[in-house]
Amino acid sequence: MYIQKVRGILVEGNKSFGQISRDVIAPLDAKTPLWWYISASLAMGAILFGGWAIYTTITVGIGAWGVNNNVAWGYAIINFVWWIGIGHAGTAFSIFLLLMRQKWRTSINRAAEAMTVVAVVCAGLFPLLHMGRLWNAFFIFPYWNTRGPLWDNFNSPLFWDVVAISTYFMASAVFWYIGMIPDFATIRDTTASKIKKKVYGFFSFGWVGSAKGWLRFETASLLLGGLAAPLVVAVHSIVSMDFATSIMPGWHTTIFPPYFVVGAIFSGFGMVLTLMIIVRKVYKFQEYVTQSHLDAIARILTFISLIMATAYSTELFMAWYGGQEYEMFTFMKNRVTGEYTLAFWTMVTCNALIPQIFWFKKIRKNITIVFIASIFINIGMWFERYVIVVTSLSKDFLPSSWASYSPTAVEIGIFVGTLGIFLFGVLLFFRYIPMIAISEVKGILKKTSK
Amino acid sequence: MAKTNIIGVYDDEDVLMKAIHFMQKKNIQIKDVLSPIPIHGVFEALKLTTRLPLATFFYGVLGTSLTFAFLYWASVVNYPLKFGGKPLNTLSFIIILFVATIFIGTFLTFMTFFIRQKLYPGKEVQILDPRSTDDKMLIVVDKDEKLSAAEINDIKSAMRESGASEVNEVEEITTKKKFVWKHEKDIH
Repeated sequence: MYIQKVRGILVEGNKSFGQISRDVIAPLDAKTPLWWYISASLAMGAILFGGWAIYTTITVGIGAWGVNNNVAWGYAIINFVWWIGIGHAGTAFSIFLLLMRQKWRTSINRAAEAMTVVAVVCAGLFPLLHMGRLWNAFFIFPYWNTRGPLWDNFNSPLFWDVVAISTYFMASAVFWYIGMIPDFATIRDTTASKIKKKVYGFFSFGWVGSAKGWLRFETASLLLGGLAAPLVVAVHSIVSMDFATSIMPGWHTTIFPPYFVVGAIFSGFGMVLTLMIIVRKVYKFQEYVTQSHLDAIARILTFISLIMATAYSTELFMAWYGGQEYEMFTFMKNRVTGEYTLAFWTMVTCNALIPQIFWFKKIRKNITIVFIASIFINIGMWFERYVIVVTSLSKDFLPSSWASYSPTAVEIGIFVGTLGIFLFGVLLFFRYIPMIAISEVKGILKKTSK
Repeated sequence: MAKTNIIGVYDDEDVLMKAIHFMQKKNIQIKDVLSPIPIHGVFEALKLTTRLPLATFFYGVLGTSLTFAFLYWASVVNYPLKFGGKPLNTLSFIIILFVATIFIGTFLTFMTFFIRQKLYPGKEVQILDPRSTDDKMLIVVDKDEKLSAAEINDIKSAMRESGASEVNEVEEITTKKKFVWKHEKDIH
């Protein structure tokens, strides 16, 4: 049951159904603003840089990257895990909150799901490129072949990754699209433009909002939600097993699956917060994405950040308590102190310490501070993956084969390229798709509006 | 002959719910209710049910069985290759089974939803009232040819009495174009 005292007002301004449709569709009908073109050009610039980097990677080979025999996994896997983590936001929002019947999800879930789909596309690019021979990428799928037939190694987490991430992409995209069908129908029926009527009509799949249609829609959403919720846990657990099933000090720990899943949801929520603060400001959606929404996300972030802090301390404690010298070295001499100490402490500060400011209601109400804190979380989560990947690989068992790692322009280029793809994807979403789930906001209006 | 519908337009979901019960008490057969949001009371009042969860369960079972059959065949029968001393029929399958079950379950569930609901890209439908996806709720009653003028009036007044802001009649256009073989006479 929704208790207003706890969660606050979710739709302000005493809206009517018609008003909600008009407000949310307004940005799609308005002239494309100048800032949109500027951001899109920036994104295109980043994509071009990324295109050059990808071209170099394919033509020169992995030698164009800064990875070496020891640090064989560098920027590619760091960014892969980072993007997948961000991609967990959509599912966390839409699915966990849907299953728990949290009404405050409705204004944010559409943007979070859009983010998921684009982030997973960005993530998928990295392992593909890291294969070196992109044209042989189809080898990762089990298909009847002339090499035996030799099948994939079904015991390998890398293969599990392929299955999990393709499933995750499909499920997120479908969940996102099905949610948009009633809204496309609303645009089809309210727009004055003939072209829009045709285009949105095409994508609305002939939706009319009949009783049976809604029943099936609701049931399908819940079923897809119920199926995708364990998938979220599975995807990042599998990603963590890419590391945890190896014998590398710092990776070979049983805490990794829950630690990664929670970390992914943390970074996803952080990115949602960043994005929603921008959206509500730019599109003047303050009445839909209210203080109560931001407050709820900030509270969740505080709680998750405590779990992150517990995970960090557990790792350090186990390194000491386990009495294994390599573990002890990796954690104490190569993370807490040593060459990568800055990265480690950035991670701790951004993920475990900074979110603690959200304990104070006054700070949770200050949008500028919340925005800055959310950016720190995004940065902190990137550094977490950097610390995990680079510190363990750079100095392992044999000091004679220790090596440092620093990315080359090509690796940075691919990362910047994915940032460009993400920005461009999000901009397209802002321009052509209703950013707030119209029918879902209408559904909660009576109980939660003012 | 084209069918006609009598449509009661309502502004509020609570009024709509009361209207449905009111009309059902008067034994008026409600054909459909169109609304911009899902209203749970409507499903119960119209006694609508769906077997989608059951279908999803079977898809899940199918997904698990098919995936296991493939993994077993590939690893044990077709090309038995030992990895790290693990048995050929290994526990690692569980992870693939888990995810592949979700894949097949999700894919077939949404396909079933689209097929049963007859939703597809570019589908053209007749919109009885364009406001029904925006801010109005409609109760649709079939204007049967057998109904007398008095009965039709009863339906309309029941709609008005139960709080309908408008009562309209909309003719249903059948968009289905049937392919008809030309009769021999026409060819000659």
